[in-house]
Amino acid sequence: MLIHPRNVQAVARKEFYHIVRDYRSLYMAFALPLVLILLFGYALSLDVDNVKVVVVDHDRTDLSRDFASRLDASAYFRLVATLPDDRAAAAWLDAGRATIALIIPPRWTEAIRSNREAPLQVLIDASDPNIGSISRGYINSFVERYNRRLLADFLDRQGLENLHPPVEGRVRVWFNEELESRNFIVPGIIAVIIMIVGAMLTSLVIAREYENGTMETIRSLPINAFEFLTGKAIPYFLIGMTDVLAALLMGQLLFGVVMKGSFWLMILASSLYLSVALGLGLFISIAAKSQLVANQIALLVSYLPALLLSDFVFPVENMPRILQAVTCVVPATYYIDILNGLFLRNVGIGYLWPSYLVLLAMFAVGAAAAVVKMRKEGL
Amino acid sequence: MTTRNAEIVSVRDLEKRFGDFIAVNRVTFSIARGEIFGFLGPNGAGKSTTIRMLCGIITPSAGTGQVAGFDVVRQSESIKQTIGYMSQKFSLYEDLTPAENIRFYLGIYSVPERQWEERTRWALDTARLQEMRDRLTRELPPGWRQRLALACALLHRPEILFLDEPTSGVDPITRRRFWEFIRELAGQGITVFVTTHYMDEALNCDRIVMINEGRVVAIGSPGEIIAEACPGEAGATLNEAFIRLMTKPKEGVME
Repeated sequence: MLIHPRNVQAVARKEFYHIVRDYRSLYMAFALPLVLILLFGYALSLDVDNVKVVVVDHDRTDLSRDFASRLDASAYFRLVATLPDDRAAAAWLDAGRATIALIIPPRWTEAIRSNREAPLQVLIDASDPNIGSISRGYINSFVERYNRRLLADFLDRQGLENLHPPVEGRVRVWFNEELESRNFIVPGIIAVIIMIVGAMLTSLVIAREYENGTMETIRSLPINAFEFLTGKAIPYFLIGMTDVLAALLMGQLLFGVVMKGSFWLMILASSLYLSVALGLGLFISIAAKSQLVANQIALLVSYLPALLLSDFVFPVENMPRILQAVTCVVPATYYIDILNGLFLRNVGIGYLWPSYLVLLAMFAVGAAAAVVKMRKEGL
Repeated sequence: MTTRNAEIVSVRDLEKRFGDFIAVNRVTFSIARGEIFGFLGPNGAGKSTTIRMLCGIITPSAGTGQVAGFDVVRQSESIKQTIGYMSQKFSLYEDLTPAENIRFYLGIYSVPERQWEERTRWALDTARLQEMRDRLTRELPPGWRQRLALACALLHRPEILFLDEPTSGVDPITRRRFWEFIRELAGQGITVFVTTHYMDEALNCDRIVMINEGRVVAIGSPGEIIAEACPGEAGATLNEAFIRLMTKPKEGVME
């Protein structure tokens, strides 16, 4: 199979005209990615801060007031109201106006002073289990720290200030020091955007030729399947890479997400992953021959897995075995693995090469399948 | 590369099956260089299937064939480079302008770039679309689009032009102009292979093959076919001959 660059060029130019003339594909190519970055970046924050707390203080002592004000001063909590009774607190939780209701029982300070157990009732709204469990962790460690402070005060007064707790964990968070989920979300959005541009858009391009009857013309022309598909893919490759750079830039400007690793490794990974998406989209388009069907299939096999089965939104470790196995064939899994390595861990090709190889293999298989399928269709 | 003998197309026992269905059944004929060759038959007779085999779009199930000296099975790529083909359905890009469509064809046909300007001008003149060159093709009336399609099929100066029902849905005046143009092409030595329903058009052909249910039922000049199908009937028309041949019990009339 000889390859004539001029044939590739002619198809690429023609495809470029199609894109320019069709405002919907332009919107999909450029506006949608921007909307996604903004939407995911701002709305899909997996971080929990400023948890809303209401307090019912039956004790009304200096200590109970101190407890509440320290809670409010912490970055994790915000005291939204001090309520007269438990019923009111329950109502606030019901209405969703607070996530935590803290009920300090009567004679709480007295119990502490007399060295009896001093229970504190904490009600947590866990209708969003993620926020619920994170809030529980926050409040536990807050109470823990408050206890230590009381203990230290007590030891101080006893003149035993040099007494230390036997074990003290010195925790340091690596790779994403502020535990900001944005640092993790930006790579995920890029993976989703590439799938939209690469697979969703290209899933239309061959089907369109079938629907308009122009496939018959193509078959009668001296052009082979490889030239035709390559020409079709080129404009979308350029659009996809533009989107990657735009996402990178927006991630940096809007969310302050700065990539630590090599820029060129990132470009290499994006090119590979985008090529996988293009091959997939073209294959679907050839097989489906209808734009509507092709688009639905592309949505199911490219975009949704990239979003749901790639370790982006939902952690793969928590999935059932079967789904974990499925994630192994989702290209986004490997791309996101590379991007996390580059964005957060600043590791090089020495650690990341297996994922690069998998993407390369996926591209080879996908492109070969598309060319073979196209040849079977008489090109 | 090109055979210099008189026959530009020759097929022998050409056959195409789709599963159990025999679309084209052992068809044999040949076409001389510079001929206008008509391919007639009712709908579903196998006209389009034959034309697509000759153009290298589909592979024959059996039989042999040469087009412009190239084998229809093994050298389809070379055939595509040498022929022009206009399919039944309009098949240019409607969201491109005539000039952009022309440019696409020029690229695929490997016309040298220095000739692009001259060939584009020629094509737009031929299609009489010079002032419409930058309008979108979808805005053109059907007859005009057809002229553009024809001009595109001629951009690389093919030796043979295949036209699959080029005049269906075209008004009589445009049809007459079209046939004048076809005769002009034949005068320049381009062979024209054309399928049609219209018997009055078929009279423009030097020779005709009539096929029915995938088989050749008559071959010859229009006069010869009338004489053979309606013996002793002075003033019989090609139309009468056609109807008689198509309703006759099957028997292959071979050359």
